[in-house]
Amino acid sequence: MSAQRNESVASFRARLFTAIMIIVATLMALGLYLAQRKVAADAEQNLQQNFQAELSSLHRLEELRNTALAERCNKLAAKPRIHAAIEDDALDLLYPSAKDELRDLMEGEEPPPQRAAEWLHARFYRFLDSTGAVIKPPNTYEVGQLDTQTEAQLSLNELPETQQIGYIEENAGAGGGALDEVIASPIFSTETGDVISALVIGFTPLELGEKHTDVAMKSGVWVNGQLYLPSFPLSTQASLSEKIANAIGSSDREQDNFRINVDGASQLLFYKRLNPGSLFPPAYRIYVYPLAYSMAQLRRLRWQIGGAGALLLLGGFVASHLVARRFSAPVQKLALDSEENRAQRRRAEAALASTAQELERSSRYSADASHQLKSPVTVLRVCLEALLAREGFKPEVYEQLSVMLHQTHRLTGVIDDLLLLSRMDAGHLQIASTPVNLSQIVDEWLDDLSALPDSPDVKIEKEFAANLFVAGEKRYTSLIVQNLLENARKYNRSGGRIRVSAHGKASDVVLTIGNTGRTIPSDENIFERFHHRSTPSAVSGHGIGLNLARELARLHGGDLRLIRSGDDWTEFEVRFRAADSVNGAA
Amino acid sequence: MPVALLASAVVEGRVELPKSHSAPVQAKRYEIVTRAGVLSTQPPLAVVYLEGVSSRPVSLSTKEVAQKDLTFIPALLPIQVGTKVAFPNFDDTYHNIFSYSPAKRFDLGRYRPEERPVPTQVFDKPGLVTLRCDIHEHMRGLILVLNTPYFVMTDTEGHFRLSGLPAGRYTLKAWIDSRTTREKPIELRNGQTLHIDFP
Repeated sequence: MSAQRNESVASFRARLFTAIMIIVATLMALGLYLAQRKVAADAEQNLQQNFQAELSSLHRLEELRNTALAERCNKLAAKPRIHAAIEDDALDLLYPSAKDELRDLMEGEEPPPQRAAEWLHARFYRFLDSTGAVIKPPNTYEVGQLDTQTEAQLSLNELPETQQIGYIEENAGAGGGALDEVIASPIFSTETGDVISALVIGFTPLELGEKHTDVAMKSGVWVNGQLYLPSFPLSTQASLSEKIANAIGSSDREQDNFRINVDGASQLLFYKRLNPGSLFPPAYRIYVYPLAYSMAQLRRLRWQIGGAGALLLLGGFVASHLVARRFSAPVQKLALDSEENRAQRRRAEAALASTAQELERSSRYSADASHQLKSPVTVLRVCLEALLAREGFKPEVYEQLSVMLHQTHRLTGVIDDLLLLSRMDAGHLQIASTPVNLSQIVDEWLDDLSALPDSPDVKIEKEFAANLFVAGEKRYTSLIVQNLLENARKYNRSGGRIRVSAHGKASDVVLTIGNTGRTIPSDENIFERFHHRSTPSAVSGHGIGLNLARELARLHGGDLRLIRSGDDWTEFEVRFRAADSVNGAA
Repeated sequence: MPVALLASAVVEGRVELPKSHSAPVQAKRYEIVTRAGVLSTQPPLAVVYLEGVSSRPVSLSTKEVAQKDLTFIPALLPIQVGTKVAFPNFDDTYHNIFSYSPAKRFDLGRYRPEERPVPTQVFDKPGLVTLRCDIHEHMRGLILVLNTPYFVMTDTEGHFRLSGLPAGRYTLKAWIDSRTTREKPIELRNGQTLHIDFP
């Protein structure tokens, strides 16, 4: 029993522990997942910001340079010679006329990248005619050498109204050709405001110095389906270029980013359109960030979280152990208590069962006994009556026979009472309720009482109306009245009196039977079955009359009680249900 | 003067000039304007000339395009091929007159008013010459070099009269702007006055 209990407590503890462990492990996994996501997002955001910062600083440089260029073009357009060359059909004089104006662009050393904006240094320049085609220069050496193919890329479908930025490849097709950034600035007629030509100037693309790149970022340009990112080998450039083309082709966003894998290393690639709305082919600035740094960060974080999780798990283990113990103590107690309760209940149930059995046995015994007794008594009575009917006995014999016959009558009464009681105990007794004339029954029994031979000299007082009807079965109502009246006579003293009164009270009829004589001590339970008076008495009963009367009264929905006993007066009260209420209820 | 006697035909008439939207200006003062790449005078004037005359050697007088108040005066000068034009500077500043026109390319370089001799150019090829100043980019002048001695500028109403013309079959042309020249074949007879209108 106790082993089983311990086992169940242990299993409870194990389950509690498992539950806590599961919760801790789930929390840890969740934390790890969220932290990892956050780190990844943060890293991406950092790189994005980095990219945007790089772009915007580049953009500022470009703005400076482009503004300077626009100014230069306006100045150029204001020059009467250039105007004259374009307007007066003297294109051959255009380059010579512009030579002086643009000489500084072509001369001098290439500036350091950081100063590219303030120090305009062009690789070449060309003018466009009114159709947007390149005007051939008389000699290429003053305006920068370009092969025919490259020069052709400078042509536009029409003259631009605003500055156009483009990227062209020199020595295209050779692979790994140099990329030039070109800016086409419109030349407006000073008189009409119309665009009469455009100056296209080619630069080495602006690059930021290495000082900005705290991470090993690589930057390049993607244009015309080709990537110019010299830090990567050609094969890598080609495969990347394809991916970029796909990304750009699949979405119309001007900037985005995606992950790539270069030589087994994860990298984040950003792209942004460099020349939105340009007449030149679309070009994109490409930045490639290695993710190694953020990966390392992620790994570190994973270790940290893992370590913390392990600690948490350990703590959880200890805590859950303690908690399980704390929790299981009352549970153990509860288990113990409930075990005791169960035992008690089992005992009580057993006792109840045995009591019920005993009760049943006893009531069956009473019933059996009554039936067994009834037949011999009947035989005895019949024989006695036969003997009394014979002649030839001495008179005292007749007297004795008569006494014996009387006793058999009593015996029959006792047996009948017992039988009735046992039926009541077994719950077999059914009351067929009808209106019963209580007044008549009392009168009849009073008549019988006075007719009895051994009646003491008692005076009878009656105080009840005729025809008081009560609800019940006549037999049993009569039995109750008989029992009480017999007792009143039996326990009376000589020269005493009996008072019978009855009256309706609400829906009840109350019958009160009082008699003079010896009183009943208050500690005596006279309604107990087979009760015998503690004090010896001349008269004796069989001890079931009052019990039977009360059981019957209760069965009829009323009651019987002793309301008074003292000062030479004992009074019982029986409460019946009035017949009206029965009729009314029916 | 038999030649003069022979050349006695007259052509007169009117050229329909483009509508001028600007306020009326003083006579003799007009300027060159560019509209959509087309040069014309403002207010509109036309030059009517007779083409197809066999050239004859003439002693041509020197013409003049002055620079005054940062404009060319006159703004439009019709001349016969071979005419020498002087470019005196009457302003208080430098001028640098030049032309990139196919009919005559020249560059007078910078010169001041008091510089002598006054720069000149001989225009020996027919065509329209656009005069510009390298210093004052707004300045425009036109010299219409014509392969004929017979030409005249209309008044602002478009009326013209060419006299002393030789008899024969010719083409009468009206130059209206740098892109528009109307023409009509005519037959001139001595002593006759022909009336020609250019719609």
